[in-house]
Amino acid sequence: MFFSNMLACNASHSTPVGGGNAPKLVCQPPLNRKEVEERRRTFRTEVVHTVDKMVASMWRISGAVNRALVKARYPLQLSLRRGQASVSYAQSLLGVSETRLTTLSNGLRIASEETNQATCTVGLWIGCGSRYESEKNNGAGFFLEHMAFKGTKKHPQSALEQAVESMGAHLSAYTSREHTAYYMKTLAKDLPKAVELLAEVVQSSSLSEAEMEQQRNVVLRELEEVEGSLQDVCLDLLHATAFQGTPLGHSVLGPSVNARTLTRNDLVEYINSHYKAPRMVLATAGGVNHDDLVALAKQHFSGVSFEYEGDAVPVLSPCRFTGSEIRMRDDAMPLAHVAIAVEGAGAASPDIVPLMVANSIIGSYDITFGGGKNLSSRLARLAAELNLCHSFQAFHSSYSDTGLLGIYFVTDKHKIEDMMHWAQNAWMNLCTTVTESDVARAKNALKASLVGQLNGTTPVCDDIGRHILNYGRRIPLAEWDARIEAVTPRIVRDVCSKYIYDKCPAVSAVGPVEQLPDYNRMRSAMYWLRF
Amino acid sequence: MMSLAARLGTLSPYLQACGPLKTLVPGAVNKEVLMKCAASGHFGARLAHTDIKIPDFSDYRRAEVLDPKASSQESSETRRAFSYLVTGTTAVLGVYAAKTVVTQFISSMSASADVLALSKIEIKLSDIPEGKNMTFKWRGKPLFVRHRTEKEIAAEESVDLSELRDPQHDKDRVSNPTWVIVIGVCTHLGCVPIANAGDYGGYYCPCHGSHYDASGRIRKGPAPLNLEVPYYEFPDEETVVVG
Repeated sequence: MFFSNMLACNASHSTPVGGGNAPKLVCQPPLNRKEVEERRRTFRTEVVHTVDKMVASMWRISGAVNRALVKARYPLQLSLRRGQASVSYAQSLLGVSETRLTTLSNGLRIASEETNQATCTVGLWIGCGSRYESEKNNGAGFFLEHMAFKGTKKHPQSALEQAVESMGAHLSAYTSREHTAYYMKTLAKDLPKAVELLAEVVQSSSLSEAEMEQQRNVVLRELEEVEGSLQDVCLDLLHATAFQGTPLGHSVLGPSVNARTLTRNDLVEYINSHYKAPRMVLATAGGVNHDDLVALAKQHFSGVSFEYEGDAVPVLSPCRFTGSEIRMRDDAMPLAHVAIAVEGAGAASPDIVPLMVANSIIGSYDITFGGGKNLSSRLARLAAELNLCHSFQAFHSSYSDTGLLGIYFVTDKHKIEDMMHWAQNAWMNLCTTVTESDVARAKNALKASLVGQLNGTTPVCDDIGRHILNYGRRIPLAEWDARIEAVTPRIVRDVCSKYIYDKCPAVSAVGPVEQLPDYNRMRSAMYWLRF
Repeated sequence: MMSLAARLGTLSPYLQACGPLKTLVPGAVNKEVLMKCAASGHFGARLAHTDIKIPDFSDYRRAEVLDPKASSQESSETRRAFSYLVTGTTAVLGVYAAKTVVTQFISSMSASADVLALSKIEIKLSDIPEGKNMTFKWRGKPLFVRHRTEKEIAAEESVDLSELRDPQHDKDRVSNPTWVIVIGVCTHLGCVPIANAGDYGGYYCPCHGSHYDASGRIRKGPAPLNLEVPYYEFPDEETVVVG
């Protein structure tokens, strides 16, 4: 599954705040999460949803209890509740249990956040993706994801499906440029079975030839289908042109020729080169005890190898960013999809947080927003008043050592030039004239979205997995909060100038894009002569 | 930069379509997507956007960004500085060139060489005997060139300046005392004085009776100023160029 690592929040080093618990860090949601959801190979479950509802209703009940306590004049009992089933922001930062991290002898890391819930999400996050693929096997990870749930050595496909369904669990996977994940959403009591199945899927997938041929067609059909999702096409092309000649330019799906020619050997080789214990994280969130989990991991994952053949450890080399453009013009399409991006910060860079704040200042917009000229983002106000676009969003895809910081918008073919002008104008404002109120508003919005996105065991688990892979530890929400709080307008200006001002952008455009200005003009709009 | 027009076969070299097209789903071929470019023998159909290969622009890259495994950030400042320097220099040179062209066109409207030539006169001094005054037409006015005798020179140099209406020492009016070169226009009302006439051995204007001396200075009469001395040079002993 194609899951672009958009807006991955990251912060590798910052002074931890008060040893606080590790609540989730919520970044702005990935661009195409909806599509991601749709495309997961999932097994249905009603159970998990029902359980979640039950948990919510329990909170409401406690609110009623609190109100009763007020009447009975027991203020102490309701110090934290205030008659509502909500938690204050400060509490949400600190009130979550710490993420515990253990490492097995073979290097596999196990991380979990325990909450008092009846459900859990458990999964394996692996540090491999399309960036590790070459031209020849680009698409192997994606193909492998298709093959993953088609049976293991112990459980042929039907048995595997039966095992998962009978638990009422969701089994999903996604592949992105730097991460691959296989995870299961299930009841907490089913954890042992879940870990066992995951271990099998990852370590001993059967990869039968017959199934491969069938999945080949599925992959090809999916390639065809993704052409309809112009956002994905546009952003894929953006990566392809921005990181041309480097592995980051590869799309996760891979070219169709590879889909036709990848063999079982290729997939096996891919697994052998990349599915190594030090690059894996077994992450869990929900009603799971860490020690139980570690015991299960020892039982099932001890066999994961940590050595490479011929000691050929794949090392990621930096990927060159090229200011360039790609235009896929098709006047028959109704709307133009345009993305412009500059090279951004890597996951471990300290500039990540100011850039997140900066993106929050620009924000996002959709034509269905009702705010009109009272929308908080200036670009959104202009978009609403001048009818500049159907939607836009500021994004920051960060990888381990680089990233793409940009704005993506969808607009009518007569508004492209204006929208591009105002979008770059917004960037220039960030670099030069961003104000205290902009930054204060953005900080609040960012904090809110960070907290709000960790709304369930799966987002939390995903967060844990990605953090451990990116930073080696889970960054607690309190730490993010402190780092966001430390951002000032001067910092935003300086950081944005460092990444945006007078830099060559990468532009990709799909659809009726005749009006998109010439590259030199877009390049000239990356600085202001008045400064 | 790459521009593609979707669904056209012209860019098939960039597309990795291989072999005869297998229907993706047996029996359900999307006719719109499949267009064969029969002439070239390549496939015209673009199967997926992931098949688009960005061409290799290494031939156009600068040396610092040839290596795809090195970040381009470090060199970005120097590259930009170079580009801006070249642009700036070209701009300066361009402005200078433009200024040159414009001034050349505008100065073409100024006096031409033949007109300028008329502004100077070259006089052979050996033609003028001592004591004689010769008149030439110069810039539409009479030009007096007088070969003075020693006696005249001495006399003029010893004149007391307080006597003069327009006090000027003879030395200030001539560069070579032997030759007096003045414009022969009376400073009173513009008549032409007569040479070797008048009470002071110089010139006499018959119109209103102005007397000038051998240095062209006004001595008697209504004229207020001395005769005008133009710019002249002696390129060599025998010639003088006036103007």
